[in-house]
Amino acid sequence: MEIVRNLWRRKLRTTLTVTGIVMGIFALTTMGAMAEHFDALLAGGITYYSSTVMVSDANSGGAFGGGYMALSTLSQIQHVEGVRAVSPVVEATAKPGSTSVVSMGVPDYIMNLDPNWNSSSSIKLSLAAGTWVTEVSRLEVDLGSSFAAEFHMKVGDTIALPVRPSDAKPDFVNHRFTVVGILNPTLTAPDSGAYVSLHDAQMIEGDSLPTALQGHVDPYQLMSGAVVYAKPGVNLDALAGRINAEVPTVQATKPSTLVSAFKSGGAVFTFMTTAAALLALIIGGLSVVNTMLMSVSERVREIGLKKAVGARTRHILVEFVAEAGLIGLIGGVIGYLLGLVLTTVLNGSDPSGGLFLVTPGLTALAIGFAVALGAGAGLLPAIRAARMDPVSALRSQ
Amino acid sequence: MPTIRLEGLTKHYGRSPQVVRALDGVSLEIEQGEFVAVVGRSGSGKTTMLDCAGLLMRPTAGRVLLDGVDTGRLGERERAELRSRRIGFIFQEFNLLPTLSAVENVLLPLRYAGADHRAGRRRAEMLLDEMGIGNRMGHRPAELSGGQQQRVAIARSLIGQPTLVLGDEPMGEVDTETASMLLALMRRINRESRVTFLIVTHDLDLAAQADRIIHLRDGRLAGDQRVECAGVPLEAAEAVA
Repeated sequence: MEIVRNLWRRKLRTTLTVTGIVMGIFALTTMGAMAEHFDALLAGGITYYSSTVMVSDANSGGAFGGGYMALSTLSQIQHVEGVRAVSPVVEATAKPGSTSVVSMGVPDYIMNLDPNWNSSSSIKLSLAAGTWVTEVSRLEVDLGSSFAAEFHMKVGDTIALPVRPSDAKPDFVNHRFTVVGILNPTLTAPDSGAYVSLHDAQMIEGDSLPTALQGHVDPYQLMSGAVVYAKPGVNLDALAGRINAEVPTVQATKPSTLVSAFKSGGAVFTFMTTAAALLALIIGGLSVVNTMLMSVSERVREIGLKKAVGARTRHILVEFVAEAGLIGLIGGVIGYLLGLVLTTVLNGSDPSGGLFLVTPGLTALAIGFAVALGAGAGLLPAIRAARMDPVSALRSQ
Repeated sequence: MPTIRLEGLTKHYGRSPQVVRALDGVSLEIEQGEFVAVVGRSGSGKTTMLDCAGLLMRPTAGRVLLDGVDTGRLGERERAELRSRRIGFIFQEFNLLPTLSAVENVLLPLRYAGADHRAGRRRAEMLLDEMGIGNRMGHRPAELSGGQQQRVAIARSLIGQPTLVLGDEPMGEVDTETASMLLALMRRINRESRVTFLIVTHDLDLAAQADRIIHLRDGRLAGDQRVECAGVPLEAAEAVA
């Protein structure tokens, strides 16, 4: 109680110091929440891609294709040693025309629902409502949680896919799908997906075929790529090498290549959080040091008295560190709450669910860091107070 | 066994050739229950002697024995414990913590002695009642008069049930009437609970009400005199001093 009163003795100074911590922890919370959001996305990517081998057309030049593969290639891949299952991937953008806008997450997409997904993938999908799309479904869709939230969809609603862009060309085609299921959030890519049957995905892909190809190829014999699930104990990088060697028309990307790409992306966000923490450290830490040094110099006689009546070095040290820690705690809680309010408001105003993810870990980090920062910054003044000679302290003016 | 025994107590400040001899071989014994006044001019070593006796300062030479314990052999932790359990302090400027109420100020030494808070609280309230300020327990120092603040300080000095109370000009900041009242209060406590008092004062009228007057001059013991009529009216006691 005494430390609260001591802080309140100098209201303005305490308020200014707390404000310094508030600013730092506010920055840490908002930047951290953004980093957590992307870390979750990236962690999902790492989990998914480290357990599968992505296969694309040999001429497409990347793991995520861009070209087309013949559906018949699947049987060739299936015969490669170590392959347990292989599923076609037919993917299209859900909002054509919006890709020119800078995206801070995974853009909405339409994809065939892989029947092997839940039995083989590390990331499991589950339904929050409704039923699964099946191979025989037609014009039915399961929506990822963010996708459904963005378009305010619920089971039984209908949605035209792909979504018509404002500057749609005259030949733009889309189809009206009935929402039959809404997925639970995964905090990663599947949240932005619209899952349809393979037939419907191929139908949409056929609509977007280049004019030169339309009428010459059967879209129902095409896929954008394939995802390969390995037998237990099989080295996935080695499996990718075998696929490349045995099926020359495809390009299998080594999972380690994809995972390292995701991890280097994660490093950027870790840097953002670290930078915010450093900002908090500098702004908040210096103000706490200054405040506590002033507080110690103002209370020299009190320290002398406490030592005279029996306080040991440890007692004085603990009292001042606790006072500095309390400044950190107050600033931390306020800064965290402001960050929470801001991120909640911004997430609420973002139809796709927002860019921020405040996790219990981030909460503990923000408040714990603030307390540690306050206490740590208060340590030097506290040591100075604790080492005071009681006689000189009592005689000081 | 004396409550406190000083043996050749010496305290020098500074370095040769500019050494200040604040105390120069002071030896004396104070028995339990004595009320002793220490007088002398400014710079005579009164406060230094009190600081050494209160274990706030280590002497350059000599020994301080408290209830037979040679305190020079103790570490800082043990000395701090002795201060909280055996010694009470009363200062000229009260030295009350401004953020604490009267009763919380009285309880301060117990905080560091690790004593039972509830029992301590009862004793603090009882002491403040005895000091005649039981109705001011919840007040902060700024809301109390000088006399009331010093009574809180006296209660604080007694909360740990010490054997020795040291006062450094405890009446220096209050008017004559309040000073007499405070002195009477301390004498009553001294008589009733046999607590030893060692009080530094400039005021010979007040010193005359002690059992014994120790006179310091230039850091040395210049006189050690028993007052036969301690507690008598000031005018009468003055003659003895």
